[in-house]
Amino acid sequence: MRPYMYATREIRRRKYRTAGNVAGFVIAIAALITLVTAARGWEACTAAPMKAIGTDIILIYSAPVAPSQGGCYIANHLFAYPFNQTSIAQIAAVPNVERAVPILMHRMSAVVFTGIDPSETETNAVLPTAVVEGRYLNPDDGYVVLVDREYSQQHNLTVGSKVRYFENFEVVGIVDVGATDLIKSHIYANLPVAQEAVPSCNEAEVNVALIRVSDPRNVDATSEALTSELPSATTITSSNMATTASGVINIGEATAWNISIVLAVVAILFTIKSQLGAVAERTREIGILKAIGWSSSDVVNQIVIESALQGAIGGILGCVLGFGFAWYVLYTMGGEVGGALSLVAIDPVILAIGFGVAVIGGIAAGLYPSWKAARLTPAEALRTI
Amino acid sequence: MQNKDIIETSNLSKIYRLRNAGEVKAVDEVNLKVQEGQFLTILGPSGSGKTTLLNLLGGLDRPTTGEVRIDGLELSKLTERELVKVRRQMVGFVFQAFNLIPTLTAIENVEAALAPTVANRSKRLERSSYLLEWVGLGKRMHHLPAELSAGEQQRIAIARAFANEPKIILLDEPTGNLDTVTGREIMEMCHRASKEHGQTVVAVTHARYVREFTDRLLYMRDGKLYTQIPEEET
Repeated sequence: MRPYMYATREIRRRKYRTAGNVAGFVIAIAALITLVTAARGWEACTAAPMKAIGTDIILIYSAPVAPSQGGCYIANHLFAYPFNQTSIAQIAAVPNVERAVPILMHRMSAVVFTGIDPSETETNAVLPTAVVEGRYLNPDDGYVVLVDREYSQQHNLTVGSKVRYFENFEVVGIVDVGATDLIKSHIYANLPVAQEAVPSCNEAEVNVALIRVSDPRNVDATSEALTSELPSATTITSSNMATTASGVINIGEATAWNISIVLAVVAILFTIKSQLGAVAERTREIGILKAIGWSSSDVVNQIVIESALQGAIGGILGCVLGFGFAWYVLYTMGGEVGGALSLVAIDPVILAIGFGVAVIGGIAAGLYPSWKAARLTPAEALRTI
Repeated sequence: MQNKDIIETSNLSKIYRLRNAGEVKAVDEVNLKVQEGQFLTILGPSGSGKTTLLNLLGGLDRPTTGEVRIDGLELSKLTERELVKVRRQMVGFVFQAFNLIPTLTAIENVEAALAPTVANRSKRLERSSYLLEWVGLGKRMHHLPAELSAGEQQRIAIARAFANEPKIILLDEPTGNLDTVTGREIMEMCHRASKEHGQTVVAVTHARYVREFTDRLLYMRDGKLYTQIPEEET
């Protein structure tokens, strides 16, 4: 009858106390795995569109804006500082700029209206590949538009329907730009027509340029060159957006870890209290063991093993439960990018950390009660009822 | 030839300091010598300090003043680790309340005493089952204490006390929870074992029939030890 065997007997003997201690660890570990995996799923969902945009794209707004304000919502503000043909030429002349595509964005009553050059079929706010119904725009099109699928569903628009944005337009195509496009709009029209339709816009003026660089490795240098060329403009690279977003994401993951640590500490404190009760209940037994020759370290080992086993059981169950919760969270998260489950696997390292935290927590929870029990002399322990 | 003294105390005292009741001298200046192989019985009423004396002799407690020598070892000078060795190898205890671990079976209770000294589990189980056969519990060794009678539980406690073949067996009211017939059986068993193996036994009790098995009788009252037995005890 070694300390290990005695510990397993005690675990079986004190079912309710064991269940309570194990439950504490299960909750803490399941929360750790779920929260951290959810944070990673969120990161993947947020990062996916940025990855899809590509690292060779720079967006340049005609006015000073903070990146966090977002593209389409600052569209009206940009009209105060429009790009003209000279500005676009200036942008195109910057070294490493392969393509500078002018775009006009306007917003009215939560509807974003975008003018594009349909001849730009490789770098644009919406590409021909996004058409799911009808056709793409032609350079010689008049008052016809493409509408976003979601917007078309909300307003019962189909190909041939009429839509009004200052002027009447006929819908010739439905597009699904998804979440991966940099400039998401509701209505897309031929650029010259858009410039004509939007009252505050002068001829040949735009407020955004989408730039493709020839060498993605020089995207940051190109962005800096563009900023010095057009000091009042704002350049945003996909890495800028990724950095901004990942800062938020890191806060999310850090918070998940912090919450998990707090839960683990609570579980440990709960187990310490519970183990103190268990040790108090069997002080006399500890006295018997010491009287028949068990050393203080044998007593410590027995209680710590018992507590560590509870932690291990809690860790295993917490991992199983956490895996299930994490899977469900990933399964239901990130619909627009195809579901987080397709982007993030449940990390076995997190499971291992969860299990390790539970076992170490169990050991930590057993140390104080065992030390308290071991310092009693056998006679003192035997005197307890 | 006279046997050597295996237990020797000089001016042994144990004082408990209680919060509201001042000091209680449980053992008061006890000087005792017990020869190797001797069966010594200490009689005395409840609260006379018998259990405390036994705890001091077995290294379960430390004296306030005075000395205890076991086979030449001065217990108060031993470290905790050395004292554990004494409890493991030199002393076997039998308690009034049996003091068995309720979650362990009879054989596991005996094995628990062998765990610190015998590394091989099959050897421990072999020795434990031999001891249980010896005390007449060969067919009940896989029962929990709660499934056994008081007499059977005390037999397990005796088997456990003899597990490591200690030189000294300390019996603390071994018949206190037993009827007279069972108590006699238990005392006979202890007496037989001590004589067969040459072990020294110190039994403290207030059961008068125990003196039938003893080589020497002492009396304890108010922490002091007397050679004269009071008339009311005879």
